[in-house]
Amino acid sequence: MFVLLRQLATIRHDAALPRGRPLSLAIRHVDAGSCNGCEHELGATTNPFHDIQRHGLDIVASPRHADILLVTGAVTTRMAAPLLTAYHAMPEPRLVAALGDCALGHNILGERAELAGPLEALLPVDLRIPGCPPTPDEIAHHILAALARPD
Amino acid sequence: MSAVEQVTPQAFIATIEAALAAGERFGGAWASGQGGEGSWRVLLVSPERTRVISRSDADRPLESITGLIEAADWDEREAHDLYGLNFSGHSPLRALANHTDDAHRWMTPVSGDGVHQVAVGPIHAGVIESGHFRFHVVGERILAMDPRLFYKHRGLERAAEGHDVESALRYAQRACAACAVANTLAYAQAVEGAYALEPNRELRAARTVLLELERLYNHLHDIGAICAGVGFAPGAMAFAALKDRAQQINAQAFGHRFLFNTIAVARSPVRLERSASDATRAAVNELHTDTAAAWRDLQFAGSVQARLDGVGVLGRDDALRLGAVGPAARAAGIAEDLRSGDRLLAYDGFTPAALQDPSGDVGARLRLRALELEHTYEMLEQQLERPLNAGAATAAEHEQPDSLGVGRVESSRGATTCIVELAGTRVARLHLRTASYANWPALAHATANNLLPDFPLINKSFELCYACVDR
Repeated sequence: MFVLLRQLATIRHDAALPRGRPLSLAIRHVDAGSCNGCEHELGATTNPFHDIQRHGLDIVASPRHADILLVTGAVTTRMAAPLLTAYHAMPEPRLVAALGDCALGHNILGERAELAGPLEALLPVDLRIPGCPPTPDEIAHHILAALARPD
Repeated sequence: MSAVEQVTPQAFIATIEAALAAGERFGGAWASGQGGEGSWRVLLVSPERTRVISRSDADRPLESITGLIEAADWDEREAHDLYGLNFSGHSPLRALANHTDDAHRWMTPVSGDGVHQVAVGPIHAGVIESGHFRFHVVGERILAMDPRLFYKHRGLERAAEGHDVESALRYAQRACAACAVANTLAYAQAVEGAYALEPNRELRAARTVLLELERLYNHLHDIGAICAGVGFAPGAMAFAALKDRAQQINAQAFGHRFLFNTIAVARSPVRLERSASDATRAAVNELHTDTAAAWRDLQFAGSVQARLDGVGVLGRDDALRLGAVGPAARAAGIAEDLRSGDRLLAYDGFTPAALQDPSGDVGARLRLRALELEHTYEMLEQQLERPLNAGAATAAEHEQPDSLGVGRVESSRGATTCIVELAGTRVARLHLRTASYANWPALAHATANNLLPDFPLINKSFELCYACVDR
């Protein structure tokens, strides 16, 4: 195995493996009050069916490593502060995506005392991914479209 | 279905004590109506019936029942935080839904030489729901853990109030995607119970298929999550792929990967023609074969098997005392499952899954799910031999309509209860006490004395929802 690791560069070169796009995007997810549907589907984007890593997309553990903040849920009052902390921990330039109808403000709750959202009221939203929940394919499609943008 | 028994404040504790002595069990408690003019209600369940004991909340504080029923701890804390009730004899009454900066208001005090705290969340490293864990540790050994949830409290129960019974169902559905069928079915059964309706054979069959399809993708997910919990990527990926196939079956047959909008009050919004039920059955059968193969492979993965035994033990006595339900309770040797003895679905002759060695650890919870998956596959293959018709619920004999209904359904995580109080055709109060709600205190208990790095594994072996707890 270790021999293989040492020779990896050569092996890759010799095998002419597809290298994907010369672009990448590190995603940090924050659940700001979802039903867990968007989490299941975002998790599924990394399963063997959808495998978003092959497009240069990866879900990272820290906002400090992230290019894009993917927010799910109707933002609750209790999650507003942790959400903003995560946002301010990101390096610039940074993008914000609203994942799912709740984060977009199209939820069944309306305006309630328990909610601080929609996300747009708290952060500038660059990318909107509708659906309840959006399927893994739809999530990948929207993020890849953002990646392809010239800016 | 469940007549409300009004009792005087003096008789409240004695009534509950007598019910427990007669073998009835605690099923949940909730505040009803407006504080001061409302009531405090306790659900008692037995195989024969469900009862609601109600007392006025006018005189405060109310007597705590936690001396009799430890499992009522969270119910009373929630009623305090969200409905302003106070309880005598529940001391300290720690904050549950209210978030305060004063750690002593919500945390267990733990002190001693070398004791320190590890704070985790509300935002976690993976794609996980939001919630906070406070570990009290010495070195890497966990002494105690306080879960602090309700970060996702959306006010769903209050939002449902005033809506008609048809449209209020969506609030039960949005409580949790992964338990959407169980929660909406419990809701529908509660409303049908209040209206004295009972489902016919077609409706029972359709609902049973939906509930088992929900269990199928959840159990596959949970086995994959346990593999991820020990860092075994091949198992995590294999079961993630199986779970996705199960959700693809859901989408193909019923138009939604989480089976949203498949349950309604007194009818079934979905049906399967013969060709569709045949195709679904074939896909389920193929998944059955591949699941068996993946499970066999997992038995030979030494790095997984070596991590399961003796970790995160929830013993039988503790599971009973803390009111644990579902796979967590059955893995501890409690042979209880609402599917056995069920009269509103199609589970004739069902017996709860039981392990030869119900050791209550991570390994037992994993093996129990695999065993339950077998039953689920068999039931689905049997139910899908016929087309699924729309079905209906019709007036039940010997039952009178009431303003309160109780629905109880075995979700993939265990017994889930929905209470619906009606004012005419509108919902006056909706209360959802899910299996996850019942099991969080048991998870916290099972964490003690384990190593901190084993917590993700223990957590995943319970795989509880935050969304349907926080609501």
